Amino acid sequence: MEILPSRFLSPETTQKLLNELYTSGGIIRMMIQGPNLPRTVTYGPGKGLPIEEHRNLLVEVGGEVLELRVKVGRIRLELEGEEFLPGIQAACERALPFSFQIKRGKFFREISTISDYAKYGKDADKRILGLVDPRAKKESALAILSEKDSDKKEER
Amino acid sequence: MAYTPQYYPGNTSVGANRRKHMSGNLEKLRDIPEADVVAIMGHRAPGADYPSTHPPLKEMGEPDCPIRQLVEPTPGAAAGDRVRYSQFTDSMYFAPSIPYWRSYWAAINCRGADPGTLSGRQIIEARERDIEAYTKKLMDSEMTDVARCSMRGCTVHGHSLRLEENGMMFDMLARTEMGADGNVYYVKNQVGIPLDKKINVGKPMSEEELKKRTTIFRYDNVSFGGKVGARKFDEALEALHHMWELRTKWGFRPE
Repeated sequence: MEILPSRFLSPETTQKLLNELYTSGGIIRMMIQGPNLPRTVTYGPGKGLPIEEHRNLLVEVGGEVLELRVKVGRIRLELEGEEFLPGIQAACERALPFSFQIKRGKFFREISTISDYAKYGKDADKRILGLVDPRAKKESALAILSEKDSDKKEER
Repeated sequence: MAYTPQYYPGNTSVGANRRKHMSGNLEKLRDIPEADVVAIMGHRAPGADYPSTHPPLKEMGEPDCPIRQLVEPTPGAAAGDRVRYSQFTDSMYFAPSIPYWRSYWAAINCRGADPGTLSGRQIIEARERDIEAYTKKLMDSEMTDVARCSMRGCTVHGHSLRLEENGMMFDMLARTEMGADGNVYYVKNQVGIPLDKKINVGKPMSEEELKKRTTIFRYDNVSFGGKVGARKFDEALEALHHMWELRTKWGFRPE
């Protein structure tokens, strides 16, 4: 399923929402997505200057501290079952002070694409597929919040 | 009888606003000091001399030309200033002006200016002291709202993105910020270089005010037509449909 808030989320709201979602349970995988927040000015006369506002945007989810690298505008979740959907809806209502849309559907792929094959090889971990950009570094873009086999949670 | 130009048809508030922008008959909403506008533009330090690319026209000895005698040069051209630019991004969430209307405004009302519209941003080039004057007019007038429009020389996107939680247009380079006092501050110039001091440009408009002043047709305010929130087709739409029909059927040959 996919959560689409009507505004971009600040780091504080993001933390609140992610924690609400995390505690509502039933999440196998989670991906957060939005426009990039670069650390430096990427081009133009000011190229290379640091953007202090985008440093240390840390959120704490499930005891793990993650660094936000995007302005959060979309959250995709893979749930264990449909029975968890009302809990997710309630979590969004508690955390978001503005409207949002929830789309039901399957948003993560299970079959390896050519890009996945080039990056991860023949025996790719199925849980990673569709979670991060093929060019992204896995170490910085993924977080494993629980090592229990039945309760793997990963984030970007 | 003096000729009154007719700019844009239609009875909706959007039509009226579009006429206002094109005619240049705009309400002044704020007064941002000239030095601050120059600092946000970032081409020269406020108070510094204008660098020039050629000597003043009077000293150059221009050739004898009837057009040169007819057309008075702008102050910037007369002094031999460099050509510089200012570029604005306007949010599609009811920004008062939109890129095309900024271009119409500049093309009709600004002498010696070269406006250009891209999908979500609009640039005007002119001689340095001319563009400073035009930019100040833009920033002071009702064509600009401080939260939904901002001066962005590079990394311009934000036009078609959702707003931030506080109602500001998203900016990847964080050039503007909402202060605790409710005012919007420029902390960087238009290309993302930090300013010496924060520049206060005032409070943003309310949602109702923006909807009243916008030049954007949108289904959730004044609709352009169609099934969602449709309004009665006015003269503008009739004319547009007429042109579309002629163009589609016969390649628009008015004879």
